[in-house]
Amino acid sequence: MSFYFAIIGTKDNPIYECEFGTSKQGGDGIARWPEDQRPMNQFILHSALDIVEEVQWVQRELYLKTVDRFNNLMVSCFLSAGNIKFLLLHDTKIEDPIRQFFTDVHEVYIKTLMNPFYEVDMRITSMVFDARVRAAAKKYL
Amino acid sequence: MSSTKAARIGEEVWKTRIDKVNAELVTLTYGSIVAQLCKDFEGDYMEVNKQLDKMGYNIGLRLIEDFLAKTNTGRCANFRETAETISKIGFKVFLNITPTVTNWTSDNKQFSLIFDENPLADFVELPDDGRAQNELWYSNILCGVLRGALEMVQMQVDAHFASDVLRGNDTTEMRVTLIRMIDDELPPGDD
Amino acid sequence: MSNLNAPNSPFVPFSPNPSIQSGVPTATPPLSASKPAQLGSSNLRYASSRKSIYDRHLNRTQRSELSKASFAFLFGEMIQYAQKQVSGIQDLEKKLNIQGYAIGQRLLELLLYREGRSAKRETRVLGILQFIAQTLYRHLFGKPADGLEKSREHEDEYMLIDHDPVVNSHISVPKEMSQLNCAAFVAGIIEAVLDGSLFPCRVTAHSVFSEQFPSKTVFLIKFEESVLEREAVLQ
Repeated sequence: MSFYFAIIGTKDNPIYECEFGTSKQGGDGIARWPEDQRPMNQFILHSALDIVEEVQWVQRELYLKTVDRFNNLMVSCFLSAGNIKFLLLHDTKIEDPIRQFFTDVHEVYIKTLMNPFYEVDMRITSMVFDARVRAAAKKYL
Repeated sequence: MSSTKAARIGEEVWKTRIDKVNAELVTLTYGSIVAQLCKDFEGDYMEVNKQLDKMGYNIGLRLIEDFLAKTNTGRCANFRETAETISKIGFKVFLNITPTVTNWTSDNKQFSLIFDENPLADFVELPDDGRAQNELWYSNILCGVLRGALEMVQMQVDAHFASDVLRGNDTTEMRVTLIRMIDDELPPGDD
Repeated sequence: MSNLNAPNSPFVPFSPNPSIQSGVPTATPPLSASKPAQLGSSNLRYASSRKSIYDRHLNRTQRSELSKASFAFLFGEMIQYAQKQVSGIQDLEKKLNIQGYAIGQRLLELLLYREGRSAKRETRVLGILQFIAQTLYRHLFGKPADGLEKSREHEDEYMLIDHDPVVNSHISVPKEMSQLNCAAFVAGIIEAVLDGSLFPCRVTAHSVFSEQFPSKTVFLIKFEESVLEREAVLQ
């Protein structure tokens, strides 16, 4: 199982991206996207934003579960109060672990946001942030 | 006045005579001030430090009255007592912290305040621009506050940060030096 | 899922790679599995004893208190500083609004996070206004707002009432600036919460005469057309 994760800001701008593979069942945590698949991943996530924009007025939950599909891939979404989109591209339906992953990353995002020197929609470049996201991925996915 | 007595007074005043607000409101307000200054001065952190010190000084001039009214503290007998009053009562009734007084010089004119907690700096991480951590003293307003407040009680002091955990140091330490007592000296007149 | 190669493809790709914009995948260097390429090299030092902001629990200071005087002194300096930079009351209020705005953006996310698993995003005007009048206000000022009203004349206007704004309690406005209401700072907080939740609007603070409440302030919330349109659809 490979995952592609992105955090999208209020202007549909990516503020953070990363990929990882599953650490479950002996997985080594390394993503194995085929070479020509990688650019597609960004498109797929971006395209899902249109759907999120509609779903968000119908569902009040933060975790929107799977919002879009493309071939064998699914896009799951977690939407924060401030309309920051946490999008995960994955090929297996594992709702609860994904929810837990999102919850952890959401918390890490808020810690970033609380810093007065960070502004909404800024790219997140902290290595510690990245390490926390990967740790959450390793823990749940 | 002993350190313990000062601590008791500070605790009592904090509990009974201080109107309180949510701490995060203060933290976020201060954060907004510092961030705005950094923007306005376009990353000239030395200027930001100066501005924070100035703001603190203005606050200190007024804060002392508020402090004296709330705590009924009399005149401190010496600078050592002043230090205890600042740390156990002053910081306690305004910021609910009691920084540790330490590192006295032998002439008793200089001491350090070590801050284990600093509500002004909660949630804060300095910009990763290679300069902020070397130039910005995030809590510099506190130095100005001390300077202004003590000036109003006839003490001219220098206060500056020697280290700050936000800069990657192990402690947050403010160094306070008594430069001189300010006497209201009347010039010798021949009336 | 739109055809990526269609010339009228509606999506705007966010990859900086120009060949991707044409819809043709290229042999882009893959994101490294161990370290994302977009992270800069960090120069940040951390205290050996202390950890980073990511180690601090978000709820640690949820119920902490500081003296009201501390807030009042800081707020006073914020106003003094802003006053030096502008001429005119409206510009001063705008500056205060901006400083409050940054705080509102943070509180929106923080307070909803604190509602835990039952947290729900607000999708309706009344819902988000109640969040502000109750949750936000209680957190900041220890009490809910004193009233919430919908304008009878203007569809797009609502009023949030505060009989005695905490932020104004230590501010004495000089007579020649009697139009000034420093609660513009709080208006900024409110505006940020509404904007962030996708209820774009303008929020301004107005002193209102009241014999019973001499410091009464009304926050006028004027929503953009899009908000009303959406409300109508969701009805």
